[in-house]
Amino acid sequence: MSDATAHTVEHGEHEVGHAPAPPDRRNLLQRPGWVRAVMYGAISFGLATAFVTGLRSLGDLDPIWELDVLLTAWTVVVPLGFLTGLGVFSYWIYWVTGKPTLPDDHSGHGADSWKDYFKVNTDHKVIGVQYLITVFFFFVVGGLMAMFIRAELAEPGTQLIDPNAFNGFTSVHATLMIFLFVVPVFAGLGNYVIPIMIGATDMAFPRLNALSFWMLPIGGLIILSSFLLPGGAFSAGWTNYAPLATQQPDSNLMFQMGVQWAGASSIATALNFLVTIITMRAPGMTFWRMPLLCWANFTTSLLVVLATPFIAGSQFLLMFDRVLHTNFFEVAGGGYVVGYQHIFWFYSHPAVYIMLLPGFGIISEVLSVFARKPIFGYRLMALSLVAILFLGFSVWAHHMFVAGMAPWLRIPMMITTLLIAVPTGIKVFSWLATLWEGKIHFKTPMLWAVGFISMFVIGGLSGIFLGSVPIDQHASDTYFVVAHIHYVLYGGSVFTIFAGVYYWFPKMTGRMYNETLGKAHFWLTFIAFNVTFFAQHWVGLQGMPRRVADYDPVFADWNMVSSIGSFVLGASTLIFLYNMLVSWRSGEPAPSNPWRALTIEWQISSPPSKFNFDEIPQVVGGPYEYGVPGARHVVLNGSRTVETEKPEPATVGAEH
Amino acid sequence: MTSVAPTESDHGHAHGHGDHPPEQYYSSKVEPPILGIYLFLASEAMLFGSFFAAYFFARVAVPHEFWPPINPKTGHQFELPVFLALINTIILVTSSVTVHWAVTSLKRNYRAGLIAGLTLTSLLGLTFLLIQIREYMRIGFSPRDEAFGSTFYGLTGLHGAHVFMGLTFLSFALWRSMKGHYSPKHHVGLELPAIYWHFVDVMWIVVYVMVYVV
Repeated sequence: MSDATAHTVEHGEHEVGHAPAPPDRRNLLQRPGWVRAVMYGAISFGLATAFVTGLRSLGDLDPIWELDVLLTAWTVVVPLGFLTGLGVFSYWIYWVTGKPTLPDDHSGHGADSWKDYFKVNTDHKVIGVQYLITVFFFFVVGGLMAMFIRAELAEPGTQLIDPNAFNGFTSVHATLMIFLFVVPVFAGLGNYVIPIMIGATDMAFPRLNALSFWMLPIGGLIILSSFLLPGGAFSAGWTNYAPLATQQPDSNLMFQMGVQWAGASSIATALNFLVTIITMRAPGMTFWRMPLLCWANFTTSLLVVLATPFIAGSQFLLMFDRVLHTNFFEVAGGGYVVGYQHIFWFYSHPAVYIMLLPGFGIISEVLSVFARKPIFGYRLMALSLVAILFLGFSVWAHHMFVAGMAPWLRIPMMITTLLIAVPTGIKVFSWLATLWEGKIHFKTPMLWAVGFISMFVIGGLSGIFLGSVPIDQHASDTYFVVAHIHYVLYGGSVFTIFAGVYYWFPKMTGRMYNETLGKAHFWLTFIAFNVTFFAQHWVGLQGMPRRVADYDPVFADWNMVSSIGSFVLGASTLIFLYNMLVSWRSGEPAPSNPWRALTIEWQISSPPSKFNFDEIPQVVGGPYEYGVPGARHVVLNGSRTVETEKPEPATVGAEH
Repeated sequence: MTSVAPTESDHGHAHGHGDHPPEQYYSSKVEPPILGIYLFLASEAMLFGSFFAAYFFARVAVPHEFWPPINPKTGHQFELPVFLALINTIILVTSSVTVHWAVTSLKRNYRAGLIAGLTLTSLLGLTFLLIQIREYMRIGFSPRDEAFGSTFYGLTGLHGAHVFMGLTFLSFALWRSMKGHYSPKHHVGLELPAIYWHFVDVMWIVVYVMVYVV
């Protein structure tokens, strides 16, 4: 064997190459793209159908056309075929079979027109935008479902939708908001800014990054498609407890399989973040010089990599119980039914922190910049994230105080739950101390950040109530829980998301958003949010159960208030969407550093050039030294220039 | 042949044209794909953890003396072929040694050892799978028979699926080795399946001890 041939293939592993690839002369059906993707998807559909029915007829199984088996096969095979057709796997198929891989000409980088966002792209910035647009689509869909829910609950009795459809709406609303909005939106924001913040040209595995993105809408569409199946959408709640889940119509499979795709996407992205942050930091960027958003994404990614397999496992076992008639959670067959809840919450409690920690990071960035002060207690801020990471794995059974689990577990779980208030409290007090005597600029991102702190504290306090066994036994499964989760996930996570989107909008689009509309959006949302959810604490403590379409007329007044608040809340989102779309098209051009921030992404042009940097930057100090004379975070382009005021040459759009 | 180390790529000085990225700086000595696969395997270990959780829940739900439970179809306790699985364990541990031999052979540029090691590993892995299929056929209960059957098939099946994936990766690596790919310095494409295979082996020892022995 000659060593020369041994080398040739390995070339493909590294990004070597000069000339752009010759234009693809294959016809539309052979060329990677949407046409081939639809064709491969259709072929996969046929193959899966033939395979299942063929095997069933060979095995003399009756009936041959069994919907739950077919749905399982379709939701696995058709997306794989679709992704193959789209070209997500092409490179790996070449690589693993040892075919010469195309030298990477970076044609998968950058986006020159809106059409490029619908193609497989390996640029972290394009993927970030793809993520954001996809998840806001699902945010709107999930929000519309919430409108239906509140319309039905405006008055006692059932008027608008029947109870089964109501349960479907609550279940799909929660599933979309959690798995298709809050969890992946941070992957989108992180994708865009983290590589730049640490001084890298891209993520560590750009192709895996593309795959992670494309798995996400697949998961979302599978979840939505459950509306089309007999029996209506799955309606066992987003927790999908056994044995209720296994007794539901086949549409319940759509939850199980959709979550698998979204979960796989989430694991792949988290792995990518971890490797990127560990191996690709710019020289001088030690862990203690990283912006807190990077710390937050690092700890979140660890949570995702270690916890998400548990929801995958719980849904696999549930799927086996339904499709293969196994007895994992079937009491009649010796299964342990509460085991499902243990496995499920072993993911889904850490998931609460998966949905919050990146937001904490965003808030730390925004507060420090707009208060013009170094973040208070930087190291403790980072370490409290790590503390939440470890504690987060030890509290899952506080969701099960009344579920019939072993009683001795209650007290330890209560103690660990209340302990989480310590690192969280450290963060809240550090944010307040950051604001103390700062030169505060109330731009839109700052409004969201301050709004977040106040709302999150309310959510945190009701969390202490619910973490205490005696109160939880009273308040479990009431609207108090609904109010709590919305204060944590809307007033908490969603406010941080808005803060982040407004904050980085100029960087991503190269244009400023409309400040007046941004502030209007904030105030309307802030007021409507509290009108919607605050009264739910009271009706909950008085005993109004959640997830029921009808209720006792004594709760009628507050529910009407809540419903009116929710419609205003829905309308306030329209202001946001309008602002984003119009500003993206025709906002005034953004300077490279409109907020006078120190972190690296603001030292390069808006939007960044295709590969972010001409030269890898050199990090020389901490990221939050606002108001400290002579302090610097980064030196760009070697030692040639020390310019921060002079705008970079604009490299908007096409640069070929 | 030019060197392909990422720090020596020949376009590192093409600044400012926007067509090429600047030379990436690596802040860790660990190669990204190697770190990536370890994180992926941590995730995989947690997936096994969730299946183990279901197994232990089913197990602790009944008093100690009632495990294994009675199979209602036969009226006897469930029985597992502990000795046969021990043979399978030995086979898989041996295959871990052979795949290690293949990788070290390549590092010493001893290509015959590389190919022989990979061939042996693939054959051993295939034998493991065939023995396991045979075991399933003769074991006398199905995944539908009580939580015992479900968790047994769940854990061994999840592991078997991993063996199958590992075998697929190994056969690609074997085929590439026969075509003369990989070099003593550059062989991430060989190391990844090897690390994966060691994981499959370690996981089997855990499954064997927890399900068959204890």
